[in-house]
Amino acid sequence: MSMIDIKVAAVEQVTPLVKHFTFVKRDGSPFPAFSGGSHVVVSMNVGGRVHRNPYSLMGSPADTGAYHISVRKQEQSRGGSVFMHENVEVGTSLQITYPVNLFSLAKKAHKHILIAGGIGITPFMSQLIDLNRLNANFELHYAFRSPEHGAFADQLKAICSSKLHCYADSKGERLDLLALLSKQPLGTHVYVCGPNPMVVAVIETARNLGWPENHIHSEQFLSPGIGEPFKIQLAKSNIEVHVPAEMSMLEAIEAAGVEADYLCRGGVCGRCEVNVLESDGALLHHDHFLTDAEKAAGKKIMPCVSRARCDRLVLDL
Amino acid sequence: MALAFKQETFRNDYKYSNSPNAIKRFPFPFAEDQYMYSVNIEPHVKGKTGSVSEFAFDVDEHYVGECLDKQLTLDLDRGRYAALPHMMDAQWDFVELTMEALSNDYPEHFSLKKEGLNWTWENKPLNIKQSFVFGDASTMPMDPFEFMSKQVQGDFVLLDQRDETLYADAGFVTSQADWSLAFDVGMSWREWHAPVPRATELGVMDRALKYLLNLQLGSPVRRLNWTMTVNPRLDTSPENYPLWGTDRNTVNPENVADKVHLRVELQSLFRLPRSNGIVFSIRCYLMSLRELSSYPRWAKRLHRVQKTMHPDLIEYKGMTKFHPMMVEWLSQFDDGSAMAVGTQPE
Amino acid sequence: MERGYWIRSKPVYTSLLWHEKATSHLVVAQGQGGMAVLKLFQLMHPKQAITVLYTPYAEADYSKTLVKVVPEGLHILETEQEVLAKLEIVLQGMCMGMRLYIAGSEDFMWSVAKVANKFGIEDAGMMKELTGTLARPIYCVHCKATTHGVTTNIGECSGCGRMLFVRDHFSRKLGAYMGLMIDAESPGELPEIEEIYP
Ligand code: HEM
Ligand code: FES
Repeated sequence: MSMIDIKVAAVEQVTPLVKHFTFVKRDGSPFPAFSGGSHVVVSMNVGGRVHRNPYSLMGSPADTGAYHISVRKQEQSRGGSVFMHENVEVGTSLQITYPVNLFSLAKKAHKHILIAGGIGITPFMSQLIDLNRLNANFELHYAFRSPEHGAFADQLKAICSSKLHCYADSKGERLDLLALLSKQPLGTHVYVCGPNPMVVAVIETARNLGWPENHIHSEQFLSPGIGEPFKIQLAKSNIEVHVPAEMSMLEAIEAAGVEADYLCRGGVCGRCEVNVLESDGALLHHDHFLTDAEKAAGKKIMPCVSRARCDRLVLDL
Repeated sequence: MALAFKQETFRNDYKYSNSPNAIKRFPFPFAEDQYMYSVNIEPHVKGKTGSVSEFAFDVDEHYVGECLDKQLTLDLDRGRYAALPHMMDAQWDFVELTMEALSNDYPEHFSLKKEGLNWTWENKPLNIKQSFVFGDASTMPMDPFEFMSKQVQGDFVLLDQRDETLYADAGFVTSQADWSLAFDVGMSWREWHAPVPRATELGVMDRALKYLLNLQLGSPVRRLNWTMTVNPRLDTSPENYPLWGTDRNTVNPENVADKVHLRVELQSLFRLPRSNGIVFSIRCYLMSLRELSSYPRWAKRLHRVQKTMHPDLIEYKGMTKFHPMMVEWLSQFDDGSAMAVGTQPE
Repeated sequence: MERGYWIRSKPVYTSLLWHEKATSHLVVAQGQGGMAVLKLFQLMHPKQAITVLYTPYAEADYSKTLVKVVPEGLHILETEQEVLAKLEIVLQGMCMGMRLYIAGSEDFMWSVAKVANKFGIEDAGMMKELTGTLARPIYCVHCKATTHGVTTNIGECSGCGRMLFVRDHFSRKLGAYMGLMIDAESPGELPEIEEIYP
């Protein structure tokens, strides 16, 4: 996967739990433009282990000078958010992926209802700028614990004016989903990002009212294909190869100096197919090429995307 | 190497030919003796110097002739260009992608100057100079997508990604292998591919779609597709089928080598940044059987591929009438000995 | 079927059934489609408001029965044009969760779909039942005219007069099948014309 080398240009504490980071490219050149709702995966080295966390891009999609993300500190997780909060400062170098959008606006929608809970506001920040630029009809409904946790409320007010509706839980303000979703004009799309119960509530309410599935959008982060490290034996070359967590089997095989066929490197073309000679555990097939029966048989694997959880795996390479 | 643009025609008198260099760099698609549809998608990374994949968009000796032919076809039928209203961001993405690629890769022919959003584009071979405000369509003489599609060889389709599929919501299509943009515009992946025989059964189409839905910004991909065309005609559209359909009757054993052309499409796909759409570029290369046979290895390979072609594909690609003559002519190059895998000419 | 394989852009129609989850229901029918509406009303009625737009076509006129069966919200209209005009007005007042049901010929259903599209209702959001006839709308790929009600494998284009082979390839946006000149390669040589979409 192509990566972009960046350095941190600014860090700002936005709420007691949220920090905002500004990235610029290490070589000073502009970033690619992106579409509202995109995220990047930030790759960080936490005590020798590579963590890769996805974060929504928040700034204006047209601003190619800098990228912006916000990170909520998740104390209970071992993940990268603590690292971002405690170890990343102005000048820190990191790598990010190109922007990916799994939460894009429906361009043919007649109206957009955006519903955010807490830090779930982040993907909407860039979408709002797109919506304003396109002169689109929209409403933003933003729910948070208490006013000091309502990150970016002032900035949002400036972008959305009367289209912004805030709900502070501490003040007893509640978003009535049923009332909101039962009187939207035809052609409306609803988008939700926030804590799981809120996402489920929005999806269920809209479905029960008869909204078509493709008018209901929620943000779901898919981590890039990383997993646990494992070892493989290459029978023909007679070597053992270690596959680290952040490398694909194919990359590890190539790094070991063994030539392997490939075309798409995305699990569809079938070119990288190899025969599994022996294995004592589970093959984790992530490809779209092998049939379900072939996957179950465990005699073939596509090393460009698939992995394994086992102690011994011998490939015909 | 400086490009010398030829004066050519792709209709009526068909003044078209390939220089020895153009033949040598032709994207011959057959690595093996048999052909069937597959998900033959690979990363669109920089190829060898001088090859058709050296740059994102290949500009070759036919550039000026092809661009003139595009304009002719469009003048006769405005339906070759279409853009649904929600595709405006994708239009600008396309402008940025093509202007940056051409000006970086062919600085002697194209230049792009930017001062903030004030851009100036210059195309020397076609003698075009245009200043405009990026993102403001009113500063362009026509739709931004139309403006640039006319200045890059090949056809282009802009795709919107939604509902877990792709929609062909804009296009500039004047050199197609028998499909109609006016009819297909607005269709989804499954709908526009519906007439393709066998591919769905083979699972090729579903896998290719899944791959494209994950296509990443900065990591374009490409594939080759091919057919055989009678005469070096770019516009083999269903719209003009009444004009070129009878050409298939004119092939005989004497003229088959000069009339019948291998038509290869170098198709590349790029994720677009602002719109999250995809541009599908279909670049057409034409070479007569006689030109092709200047590399006997290619003629030998093509003979085997054609001889074993699935009948559904012969019919779908419109080769039925001249297929036996073509195979017969190519057979002189085939001594029956085994051939190594690979598309190389020698 | 064309050349021995199935073209997957051809729409598949179903029988109308009420959606349980909805904010309201809108049924639009023509001619023999009246029977599909009567069948709908044989089923348990949904709780939400129902609107029915109906126009008779040729011999097929279910108006009298519909008046007896549909409790309220029934509009009987004289022509397809009137249905489409009324539809525009009705849709303006409707909210997300409205379910659209259409019954009639393909020509009729795709004309209704075109109006619904303007309101942001997509193909997947409409239920369609083909009734009365298999006659097809044909788009001439050469002159771009659409010829309605074609019942034969080969039909004459109402725009340019060419004889068109009726393909199974279908455009939802145009609401028509593709028509391609049948004798382009051998002018004047027409295969036998047969009625296959009665
Ligand atoms: C996303 C952009 C693409 C567009 C807009 C596109 C469009 C089309 C169209 C319009 C046709 C002609 C169908 C007809 O007969 O009417 C076609 C044919 C075909 N397409 Fe695609 N296509 C795309 C990508 C792909 C990809 C990635 C594959 C990879 C497997 C593919 C495989 C094929 C095949 C095998 C055919 C049959 C071609 C022949 O036999 O000449 N297409 N495509
Ligand atoms: S390289 Fe294509 S499936 Fe692995």
